[in-house]
Amino acid sequence: MDITRTATAGTLESSDIQVTLAPGGDGIDIDLTSDVIKQFGEQIKATITSVLKDYGITSAKVKAVDKGALDIVIKARTVAAVQRALDIVEQPKWEVL
Amino acid sequence: MTVQMRDMYLSDHLTMCRWQEFLESEGIHEFQAGEVRPIEETVGLFDEDGRLIATGSLAGCVLKYIAVRREDLDHSALFNRIVGELIARLADRGATHYFVFTKPMYVTAFEHIGFTKLAQVEQGVLLEGGLPGIDAYLKDVRALGNWPQSAAIVMNANPFTLGHRHLVEVAASRNRHVYVFVVHADRSLFTTDERLELVRQGVADIRNVTVVDGGDYLVGFATFPAYFIASPEDVVDYQTKLDATLFRDWFVPALGITRRYVGQEPYSPTTEAYNKALKEVLEPRTQVTVIEREQAGGEPISASRVRQLVAQGDLDGIDALVPATTRLFIQHHLLQLQMRI
Repeated sequence: MDITRTATAGTLESSDIQVTLAPGGDGIDIDLTSDVIKQFGEQIKATITSVLKDYGITSAKVKAVDKGALDIVIKARTVAAVQRALDIVEQPKWEVL
Repeated sequence: MTVQMRDMYLSDHLTMCRWQEFLESEGIHEFQAGEVRPIEETVGLFDEDGRLIATGSLAGCVLKYIAVRREDLDHSALFNRIVGELIARLADRGATHYFVFTKPMYVTAFEHIGFTKLAQVEQGVLLEGGLPGIDAYLKDVRALGNWPQSAAIVMNANPFTLGHRHLVEVAASRNRHVYVFVVHADRSLFTTDERLELVRQGVADIRNVTVVDGGDYLVGFATFPAYFIASPEDVVDYQTKLDATLFRDWFVPALGITRRYVGQEPYSPTTEAYNKALKEVLEPRTQVTVIEREQAGGEPISASRVRQLVAQGDLDGIDALVPATTRLFIQHHLLQLQMRI
């Protein structure tokens, strides 16, 4: 599935993450800003990527601004952003959740 | 400390006074109508005693007048809440790409929440946030064709005249390839789409020219917010240099621009200052060449003269100043154009 419009979810407050998705050409390209990028950068990217994969998204530009979010928060915010980007907010994909 | 986020309606005199007083205490002193009038939304954070402790505003996709009370311990948390709220409001309107003009001391605070610095000069900085960013824009421009070296012209073309045509001809005859960027701003008499189309038609017969929409990045330096600049005489210097620096740091390397052509500007001191800033900032890597104005009837051709003639409905007068393509467009849309004036 391809993203057709840019969408965002999450805030910049402590323990949250702001995820923005936009249509992109080649694969999943994640631009991550985080204070803990050294320790958890790869894990955060892996969580985002796995949600996108669950939705069948193979290419997208992702911008993530992490403020120390836990894994479940990262997942929830990414799901929200994807649902908005695919314009399927009213039809949640339960198997992903 | 529990804080509360509230809308602030600046049309209310008391709110306006309170807002201005707070910003002044945080070192922002410029409240000219040109800066304040474009504001569409303002939010404030208030403490338990109802005191304003942080604020921020939106003007289109530009974040402005952001300030947080200095003595607060959780200064950066308040800052993030304000900026986050403004970004969320933009997202509600469907805008996911935004800009901020601010003092250089705040660069780190914005970079920390995912903003990218586009240009920095002594007095101020321009950053962008969200998607799609400047990389995506330049990638789209590169997709138009692959030229190792190019010359560039940036024009407002409001509308495209024989003067612009002359500038493009000179550049095209001296270079293998020329980009013509059309400034993206709908404050002109002719809309961006109209100006772009008239430039395209006006240079269609010149083989080695590519006409490009300036997008969010070439918007006309005069529109850069300057509310945080302390002395008015610094404003033009800051605006022109910031615009030139953005071009140098992003356009030049991405598109291999070795030369930039500008029209000589005998009447407008601001444009003269802009040409000077371009030379100062771009050279030596990119040479700036000033081309003398094309004349008609002993006077330099200018788009502002064409606009005057449009207002007067003087199509014959316009004939000597613009190519046939522009003349035809004006002829067909004369009433419509006059109504916009």
